[in-house]
Amino acid sequence: MKRRDFIKTGLTGLAAITVGNVKIPGLFRTEAFAAGRTIDLTMEAAMVEMVDGTQVFHWVFSSPLSTPAIGPSFPGPALFATAGEDITINIKNTLKEPHAFQIVGTRILTPPISPGQTRTVSFKAPAAGSYLYIDPLNDPVNRVLGLHGAFIVIPATGNTPYSFPTPMVQQLFNDLGTTPQFPRHALSQVGWDPARFRIWLHHQIDPAFNAQAQADFDAGRASTVNSAQMRANFLPRYFTINGKSGVFAAHDHATTIEGRIGQPMLVRILNSGLYTYSNHLHANHFYVTSLNNVVQDNVLFIDSQTLKPLDRIDWVVPFIRPPDIAGDPNIPLRELIPEELALTIPGAQGSPGMPQSPLPYPMHCHMETSQTAAGGNYPQGSIAHFDFLGDVDGVDFPNVIE
Amino acid sequence: MAIPIIPRGDVPPEEIPAFFNFTTPPTNGGIKQVDPLTPTFTFARNLLVDFDLVLPDGGRVPMWIIEDSNAPDAPPPLPKDALRRNFPSPAIRIPQNALVRADVLCQGNTHTIHWHGIEPTPMNDGVGHTSFEVAGHFFYQFQPRDAGTYFYHCHKNTVLHFEMGLYGLLLVDPPDPANPSVPVTYPTGGPGFAARVNPAAVALTDHVIHYDVEAAWVPDSIDSRWHLLGHDAFMQISDPNDPVNPANFTQDGILNDFRPDIFVLTGIPRRINDPTPITAAENPVFGPLVAPTVGVGQTLLARVINADYIIQQFTLGIDAEVIAMDGRGLGIPPFHQYSRPFPLPAGTPFRLTSAMRWDLIVKPTTPGVYPVKIEFLNQITGRLLYTARTTITVV
Repeated sequence: MKRRDFIKTGLTGLAAITVGNVKIPGLFRTEAFAAGRTIDLTMEAAMVEMVDGTQVFHWVFSSPLSTPAIGPSFPGPALFATAGEDITINIKNTLKEPHAFQIVGTRILTPPISPGQTRTVSFKAPAAGSYLYIDPLNDPVNRVLGLHGAFIVIPATGNTPYSFPTPMVQQLFNDLGTTPQFPRHALSQVGWDPARFRIWLHHQIDPAFNAQAQADFDAGRASTVNSAQMRANFLPRYFTINGKSGVFAAHDHATTIEGRIGQPMLVRILNSGLYTYSNHLHANHFYVTSLNNVVQDNVLFIDSQTLKPLDRIDWVVPFIRPPDIAGDPNIPLRELIPEELALTIPGAQGSPGMPQSPLPYPMHCHMETSQTAAGGNYPQGSIAHFDFLGDVDGVDFPNVIE
Repeated sequence: MAIPIIPRGDVPPEEIPAFFNFTTPPTNGGIKQVDPLTPTFTFARNLLVDFDLVLPDGGRVPMWIIEDSNAPDAPPPLPKDALRRNFPSPAIRIPQNALVRADVLCQGNTHTIHWHGIEPTPMNDGVGHTSFEVAGHFFYQFQPRDAGTYFYHCHKNTVLHFEMGLYGLLLVDPPDPANPSVPVTYPTGGPGFAARVNPAAVALTDHVIHYDVEAAWVPDSIDSRWHLLGHDAFMQISDPNDPVNPANFTQDGILNDFRPDIFVLTGIPRRINDPTPITAAENPVFGPLVAPTVGVGQTLLARVINADYIIQQFTLGIDAEVIAMDGRGLGIPPFHQYSRPFPLPAGTPFRLTSAMRWDLIVKPTTPGVYPVKIEFLNQITGRLLYTARTTITVV
């Protein structure tokens, strides 16, 4: 058994729709292409299974008209476009109350869409960056009950993820792979490969509100979920990244940040819920290059960061060798820590256990109430994994297969 | 029409052992250390030890702490074991670049220590599901390359064990730039040197600033209900062949529902209805770190850590400068050259969430008593729960 047995398309996880010639990593559940630069989204009801098996009613997006069709998705399909490109989004509301569509931090917004109605919004894709699309009506109810997704804009030119990088961000991307502090992995052609990114869309579920919406749905009436009550009483029981919790999130390759020393990765971090997180990455500090679509001038290099409701934050995880590993930093890890790389610690209760290689680390929210499903084995909430697969000189660690 | 179901995730059969390791971490199974090197700095910690946090009204909160069993007796009037057993757990100071071997003894239950902000190999990182939980002794090995403010905490069932108090300060001290090859640690409370970018630096070891007085603001809050729970509250043994059985993931617990009723500033507690400011005199170990006294013309270094599960907003009544975050000196080349220190004018609030650490310096020019305010805010509603107050006294 290998830690890296690679599941390219599972049944769950993020789906993607691309417009134009955007390149994406090939990790998504379904990857659809929007012909004619038109994206069709449908709002519908679905039961979303939580980490403990509980099925919770949600309003979600699907895209039955895309090729291939994308079924109901939690979160909604990640949409990819190039800055300045003309895009049309058709949004069909099959639910029982008015809904709408907005890209947070832009003027892209539809009027309310009545039950059964389809509305169209056409726009030029905004400056490159990580955006969140939501249903802004009955704020925050409609987005919290599931109507949200990532909207990612790629720059038309340049070696950064931005249309308008600041001098400091430009310098950082120029330095990746070209300076002594950021040696480039032997098999990488560039310092940062634009296909090396992940989306971490954070969400929370308080099933009491979903149950109320379900009762309304089942009775054939418009939702009675009240925004003020939600703001006052929201007590999330489940915490998801890209729609998954705990062990399921940590083992989703579209969520795990993985690579070799010298292969930096961009992580696009979004929060569609109401909880304020404090995300802590082990093994590397990260650079904060964009905060709410403002490319940063003072680029912090930190290990823990606040993620507020509706925040959009970009990290560059440098994939430098974990700096505090004891011993000579010039000796390859396969020679410095051979015992650890070879070790399999027997699992509990006679389980065969897992090899320590490739080197696994977590990213988790340090507010910690986000790390369980009220109880249950730790950590089963908002967590992702960060795996080092090999040394900078091109030699992989044991058990790595592609 | 039936409503479609979106499943919670996939479990490829070949990944069942990995899923099981995640839901039920192994123990170290007699392994005491891997890839050992000759240490240049060693210390020991023992966990856990029960500790009563005594409230101003005499009430007691049961805490768990990490013991420094090698620390000497404390001088009077301190309790004899105040340097061994306290809350927060006794601070660790390590010389920058030292090759560390930490002898950690876990007894009574399994635990780990995570050296928060230090970035070693997974087996030295102290996370159960990516390595193991420790029964008995384990020798953690790491070599901190960046001077700054860190902390250490147990990472088993962290949501509960961290809240119970299993944490302490971990400080990595840079050398005196006049003797850059001599590893040193500084007395807690100052004086010492801390990482700060230095435009006139010739060597990397010049990127430091001398401080006269050291403060430590480590706010935390306590939900008394949680402190009556057991080590493995709401956890259960899972089946190696069915690691994602729904029963593994819920016990209708309360660990998503944090309702603090006691608020703590570096170990000094207040009940939610007690607004009394915190003074240096009331706690001989932590009081001077919380309510420091500094002279005109001197430099105060304040280390600020959110050790909580809620949002904290800090407001100082005196001008300061932010020189470091998360153990990284802003602006110091090569890794931190994309950032720079920035001023924090008096009265400017800043917010930290859990585990964020900021280092501030204050260079007072006028004698006086300057307020320090820490507001505790709910992480969902933003509602103000409590305001802690202390002071910086400039003489």
